[in-house]
This record gives sequence, structure tokens and C-alpha cells, in this order.
Amino acid sequence: MSIDEQALAGLRDTLAADDYRLAVTESETGYQVTITAGPESCDDCLVPKPVMRSVLTSALGVPEDAIELVYPTDPA
Amino acid sequence: MFEKMIDPTAGPDVAAGDAPRLAERTDRLDGLTVGLLANTKQNAAAFLDAVAESLAEEHAIADVVRRTKLSITDPVPPDILTELVDTCDVVVVGVGDCGSCSASAVVDGITLEAAGLPAAVICSDAFQVSADAMAGLRGSPGYRYVRTPHPVASLDADAVRERARTALPEIVGLLTGARPGAVAR
Repeated sequence: MSIDEQALAGLRDTLAADDYRLAVTESETGYQVTITAGPESCDDCLVPKPVMRSVLTSALGVPEDAIELVYPTDPA
Repeated sequence: MFEKMIDPTAGPDVAAGDAPRLAERTDRLDGLTVGLLANTKQNAAAFLDAVAESLAEEHAIADVVRRTKLSITDPVPPDILTELVDTCDVVVVGVGDCGSCSASAVVDGITLEAAGLPAAVICSDAFQVSADAMAGLRGSPGYRYVRTPHPVASLDADAVRERARTALPEIVGLLTGARPGAVAR
């Protein structure tokens, strides 16, 4: 697994423009990526998960099924 | 919830790996009817109105058709798409000033092109990642659109008009056969 830090930074910047944050942690099967919402975020501004997965697959260098993606509205 | 906002793989007209499929262009906008497909983001409609005003002044367009998508996340509704196809020669789409609406705007541009209408999509530069990702998912990697600095929503009226004037050459370039000089990709 090879992370493209530049791509990941670009994604962080894009998310930050909508007041979202991204955290990446390694897991046994790949990565867990958690998106959190800041106080100025709008619920509708976050891209759908397939779009996010597409970017993450490239940035993290792993297949989609190796990424556990958690959005702010997902059940805890 | 977010999975349901847009199905980025939906759409029968493009296949993964294909080059962007673009409608045929004319060399000039003179005498053409221009559609404006705005979303409900702050200043989106004002930006497109300013574009239309400049197009009328500088390119002698014949008419303007204004339509607004009520969802920033969903693709253009079928009834509006049909109206635009039936009444317009080219369409300006925007403004993609957030993650989901930039992705959605790109889908609209690709959809309009597939329907035979040249389209110029405007997104703010902070959302290039999401716009490009959606273009790739829709089988149109390298889809060209106009980038304007982020943010757009917080601009005053004069600043919106100035942004529109600045973007105009790229918009015209995308809508015609001219090669725009500074669009994405």
C-alpha cells in the first residue's frame, strides 16, 4: 500500500473548503477513512460515497473494498 | 443517505474509459439561444446572469433561457433537460461551489453534451478533486470545465460580475470550436 500524500492533501483541502475533515487510520484489511463535519458544513455539500471512494482509491493506493468509509450521517 | 444523492455511475451514454463525448460546436455564438442551468448555491444564478449579459453584449446571442435545479446534489431533472434540449443551442452550467454541486455540475455538462448540446460548466477551483473524480466515474476523464477561484457564494454583486467577465473567454471557448486557453486539463 502506497499513499499518494499529494492527492490526499488535495482531498483534505477540497473537504476543508466545505468545512469537513478527513482522518485516515490503518486497519487490518486496509484503511478506515472517517469524514467529520465542522460547524460551517452543509449536509448536502459532501460528495456521494462513490465519488469519495474513487478519490480515496487513487490516493491510498488500495482497492475500494480495502477502504472503510465513514460519513458524518452514518449510524454510529 | 449520501449514497442516494447521486448515482455517479448512472447514465447510459458513456462507458468507462471513453474519451469525453462532446456535442458538435459552431464557431460563433451570434444568434444562438443560450441556456443557463443554475443551482441554488448563493450567487450561482447571479454569476450565470452576468455571463449571459456579457454574451449578449459581446457575442450578440439571440435569447437566454434560465432554469434552476432545486437540488444541488442531483443531476438535472429530465423535464429541465428536455426543455434545454428543445429550446437552446448551448448551455452554461454552474456554479459548482461545493463538493457535491461541483460533481453534479460536471454530470450535467456531460449529460447535455451527450444530448447534443455544447455545455460550459463552471466550478470553483477548490473543488477540482470532486469535479474530476465525477468526470472519471462518468466515463469522461479529462472533461473540461471552467474554474473560478473559491469562494463564489460570499462575493458581492460587483465581484460576481467581475468573475463572470474573467471567465467569459473560457466559457466561449468551451461553447464554440475555439480552443480555450486555461480550462481544466
